[in-house]
Amino acid sequence: MFCYQCEQTYRSDESAGCAGPKGMCGKDATTSDLQDILLHVCEGIGQYLRRARTLGAIDADADRFVLYAFFTTLTNVNFNAGKFVELIQQAAQHRDRAKALYEKAAQTAGKTPERLSGAAAFIPAKDMNGLLAQASAAAVKKDAATLGDDVVGLRSLVLYGLKGVCAYAHHAEVLGQERAAIYAAVEHALDLLASEPREIGPLLDEALALGHANFSAMEALDAANTGSFGTPVPTIVRMTPIKGKAILVSGHDLKDLHAILEATKDKGINVYTHGEVLPAHSYPKLKAYPQLVGNYGGAWQDQQKEFADFPGPIVMTSNCLIEPQPRYRGRLFTAGPVGWAGVRHIENGDFSQVVQAALALPGFNEDAAEETVTIGFGRDAVLGVADKVIDAVKAGAIRHFFLVGGCDGAAPGRNYYTDFAEHAPQDTMVLTLGCGKYRFNRHDFGTIGGLPRLLDMGQCNDAYSAIVVASKLAEAFGVGVNELPLSLIVSWFEQKAAAVLLTLLALGVRNVRLGPTLPAFLTPALVNVLVEKFGIQPIGDAKADIEASLSRAA
Amino acid sequence: MLKVNLLTRDGASIAFDAEPSDTLLDAAANANIFLPAVCREGGCGTCRVTRKAGVVVLGPHSKAALTDDDRAAGDILLCRAKACSDLELTAPFDKAAIGFSPIPERSARVTEISPAGAGAVRLVLQYEDDPTHGRATEFIPGQFMELTLPGTSITRAYSLANTPNWDGTLEFLIRLHPQGVFSAYLKSEAKIGDPILVKGPQGSFTADEASHAPRWFVAGGTGVAPMLSMLRQMADFGDTREARLYFGVNTLDELFALDIIEDLKTSLPNLAATLCVWKSAPDWRGFTGTPADALAAALAAESAHPDIYVCGPPALIKATEALSLSAGVAHDRIFSEQFSPA
Repeated sequence: MFCYQCEQTYRSDESAGCAGPKGMCGKDATTSDLQDILLHVCEGIGQYLRRARTLGAIDADADRFVLYAFFTTLTNVNFNAGKFVELIQQAAQHRDRAKALYEKAAQTAGKTPERLSGAAAFIPAKDMNGLLAQASAAAVKKDAATLGDDVVGLRSLVLYGLKGVCAYAHHAEVLGQERAAIYAAVEHALDLLASEPREIGPLLDEALALGHANFSAMEALDAANTGSFGTPVPTIVRMTPIKGKAILVSGHDLKDLHAILEATKDKGINVYTHGEVLPAHSYPKLKAYPQLVGNYGGAWQDQQKEFADFPGPIVMTSNCLIEPQPRYRGRLFTAGPVGWAGVRHIENGDFSQVVQAALALPGFNEDAAEETVTIGFGRDAVLGVADKVIDAVKAGAIRHFFLVGGCDGAAPGRNYYTDFAEHAPQDTMVLTLGCGKYRFNRHDFGTIGGLPRLLDMGQCNDAYSAIVVASKLAEAFGVGVNELPLSLIVSWFEQKAAAVLLTLLALGVRNVRLGPTLPAFLTPALVNVLVEKFGIQPIGDAKADIEASLSRAA
Repeated sequence: MLKVNLLTRDGASIAFDAEPSDTLLDAAANANIFLPAVCREGGCGTCRVTRKAGVVVLGPHSKAALTDDDRAAGDILLCRAKACSDLELTAPFDKAAIGFSPIPERSARVTEISPAGAGAVRLVLQYEDDPTHGRATEFIPGQFMELTLPGTSITRAYSLANTPNWDGTLEFLIRLHPQGVFSAYLKSEAKIGDPILVKGPQGSFTADEASHAPRWFVAGGTGVAPMLSMLRQMADFGDTREARLYFGVNTLDELFALDIIEDLKTSLPNLAATLCVWKSAPDWRGFTGTPADALAAALAAESAHPDIYVCGPPALIKATEALSLSAGVAHDRIFSEQFSPA
């Protein structure tokens, strides 16, 4: 096993990366090696699909499979080694079909099909032991000794960025929004990785291309979410439980939440959101369900205590799952790409077992004291008051905007984001998105000219909304986004955040402060490139960073 | 006060303080840590762990629960051991087997009693609704419940044969012993609707989910109950790993649960089941001998080592452990639960 894809990867003075029997996330060496092989076989699919696409032939099923397969390998998604043995066999079948498609398309076009090697020709073993014996062919660091850590790190940036793109595109795809441009970009990146690239330039170009693809993926997901459930509106959400039977829905997937709301109609069961499902309360078609009563708990890293205390079934619809504790393992359900050996998986959107579990489990015996937060400031809600915002900026009532957003995590250094948001001066606005907001979203930020000072824009993928708002404001002020009084204070943990970061870089957004630590796969030389070309800065001291941001604006 | 640190099979570190006058089981319970145990009298071996460092004094116990060899190798019984120094222990069970709140006691009613071959019954109970627990049957396959004989304080432990469920059903397969008090009740007095107090789930005989090895189950008589529970859960979860079941009885007429095993073979394509009858019968075409005999032959023909799960009478456990070890299966890849007459 070698894996350094997430922020919490093992770091010592000499090296970084999880390489023992188990990673910091709880993924064991077997699962990690099988994930590497799955991605390798998917690269082979990409080699054929890309060539087929240039000849006008596509295989939508294979494209969709790649999105799903990649999503299973994100941090804290699927820990079930047996599942990866199956997925690898399926990947090989998709690859063989993609090969046939390409060869037929080439013949039809009167061309001789290329004979592809590498991932395209890799024949995975049928069983776990056989596959594990092949793991070195797919290992992340296989070329480190000959090519050095810079190339391997940049390949990893492309691979992990691609994982984020695939995850967002999968979320959009299950709600019926697909983009040919995204599939083309995914295939292109797979094909590049399969070619075992050795040059920094093309890899950096690919990373930026994936940043653009991820913008499309987030746009598609925005269209999927708003198209299915309406445009988010500012909404007050209860953050404490009420008496009655209960289901907790965690992860990110609004389609699964919707299916659960349908399945619990008139059943006397209350549905609670957890973690990144919180923004669901702001979507008109979801908030219309009276049994969607509130949010329970905080960000993903606290789930072992929160799930244990929750008196009903829990559904984990996508990342971020951590090792289920015995006290709630039996009432935990996974859905979509998520998996854990020994935890029940919902295969086909049929949540009737979850309903049964909710009715059988005790639920909450009494109401807790009411606490609320206000959410739902997506692009439409913010742009709806753009005139007020612009006037307030021009009048000096709003001096600066801070976007404090991204992933949360358990590392002590993440207190920086709490400090930053809570110490931002009263004449600044704090925009937030992702689950990092749980560090400060119950803090009373007050208002500026009737506008709340804290605007919760939604999930991590609603970075799309933030980018749209920033672009519109820049347009209104007649400046570029980088000239706006706006600073981005980004916390990352996993590969969706890596993709969002690539999007910001691809769009030329500077002034990004990134933490709590920089990715372990970025070598000092690669960090220098990002600092020089894109102005990325590591986070420092919160108060000093606030001052520095404000003085830049001045 | 002495310090005890216990490392579980899945790597969790459990620490508690112990007075030299308390058994380790009681010391842990005083800290709201409920370690796996059944008889609490040194008789069953459920609470056996390995002492890596430190000194204990060990009270009287059955040689079946802790052999002299095991004891010489450092194994102790938590219900019989008192600390004489700080202790480092390793346990053959997961953290999941440890309770951190008192074991639930719930009311249930008898909903079915039917024969399970000659000499055993299938007992089905239904939980009553409960404000703290609802009506769900929550446990880890392989675990057992303590049932209280109606109108008495006599309890007996039986493994569940079904899987966790939301309608509150508990299914047991119970061998009828001529002298057993619970057996006497089941044979002649029990009727539908009888109230029975259920204390559980308890026990640490559960599948090691962290292992990717094939699972081979060796069962004697109603020792097949926890195996059926584990296999049914594997079927529910679509677990495609290789699994084998060696299920043995003494005489042909004692065979039972064959329909369940057939269903399992359908839903688990990589499951092979070997039915073993000890006393040969003219019209029996299956394996004649004990499940340990069948296992020995299979292990001899296998190069990779499976995880071995064995449940049944003490002689079967002992034979299975001995032959598995000699076939090269590691000590910590053999999981056992023995039962005694009730």
